[in-house]
Amino acid sequence: MKPHTKLHTTVLIIPTGIGAAIGGYAGDALPVARAIATVTDRLITHPNVLNGAQLYWPLPNAYYVEGYGLDQFAAGQWQLKPVHQNRIGLLLDAAIEDDLRWRHLQAADAARATLGLDLTDYVVTDAPLGVTLKQAASGATWGTIENPDSLLRGAERLIKEGGAGAIAVIARFPDDEDSVVLTNYRQGQGVDPLAGAEAVISHLVVRTFQIPCAHAPALMPLPLDPSISPRSAAEEIGYTFLPCVLAGLSRAPQFAMQGVSASEMITADQVDTVILPATAFGGSASMSFGQTQATIIAVADNQTKMEVSANALGIEAVQVRSYLEAIGVIAAQRAGVHYGALGSRIERLSGL
Amino acid sequence: MRMVFVTPKVPLQASPDLLQQAIEAELRRIGEPLRWAVTGVDESANTAQVEAVVMIETT
Repeated sequence: MKPHTKLHTTVLIIPTGIGAAIGGYAGDALPVARAIATVTDRLITHPNVLNGAQLYWPLPNAYYVEGYGLDQFAAGQWQLKPVHQNRIGLLLDAAIEDDLRWRHLQAADAARATLGLDLTDYVVTDAPLGVTLKQAASGATWGTIENPDSLLRGAERLIKEGGAGAIAVIARFPDDEDSVVLTNYRQGQGVDPLAGAEAVISHLVVRTFQIPCAHAPALMPLPLDPSISPRSAAEEIGYTFLPCVLAGLSRAPQFAMQGVSASEMITADQVDTVILPATAFGGSASMSFGQTQATIIAVADNQTKMEVSANALGIEAVQVRSYLEAIGVIAAQRAGVHYGALGSRIERLSGL
Repeated sequence: MRMVFVTPKVPLQASPDLLQQAIEAELRRIGEPLRWAVTGVDESANTAQVEAVVMIETT
């Protein structure tokens, strides 16, 4: 007889563009995701965690959910519908130079021939997207694009004419190889200068079309630097950052609105644990999950430029030092063991 | 439409959901919220510093 069991579901959030010590660089939180995926039945996380430029790792129980979609899911507005495979539409910024565009098309063709991914014919935007970068007073990086309408027109063509069920956007980002910010980033310090702009690009597509989307920046290759940090090294080994995006989008869950009924849907009320850096509780998803029954875990080791604790926002969280401890809390919960029972000191019960 | 980066301060609320509602209401006074986060809390002033990108329709 099959035992009645509930699938254990974990959400791992490491916001992009906030200088997270773990996960703020080139897919350097992917080992964390791989480890957590072994102690939970379903791991829901976002592109910043799973994207390592040329590097990625297929996790059968991981769900690649873009940040805007994750916010809507956390708020109970959207549900996640697992898929076998998405048809991916490639949207290239008109500002990308010919050679660089060819490198991206070759990366896409490689994903088709070597990984068996399904891609539509590509679209080039009808105007340069015009990416601009900004670092806010908090230290977080943000950005905007000058031609959002061009982005949306291109995505709409891929969906309506190409039959795309997911969109991979490649926008031309400014080259600034002498900048202090970039130098710091390549040394595994500071904040990813591109992250904030990347997030708003995919957010806009997901918000408008309610389908999976992720972004890979188009940049000229940087000169060799033997002192590159291991955390940033994955972005030094190829001409594009596209392979991880295509791998992620190929099995990203589709979105369904609240109320649509189907047995395979994943809803926010099924989430058991949510893990965040201890100083980065200021996002919409963390506030939404903070109002559910999920166990929220705050990881102190993963320092960021933010200073927004769970306590400051009235969110109850289990404070752990490291992701190793977080994994222990999840494993205990999944086994039906309160994590407090694993410590050396257990207080007596007292009356309410 | 155009994207605009804004940095409003929002009074802290009694609960996370009320704070979320207050943030989104403040951002909707400017445009349609696309991405936002509380990036700092000033407990003496009882405010949350918000950074956000909103969409504004152009005529």
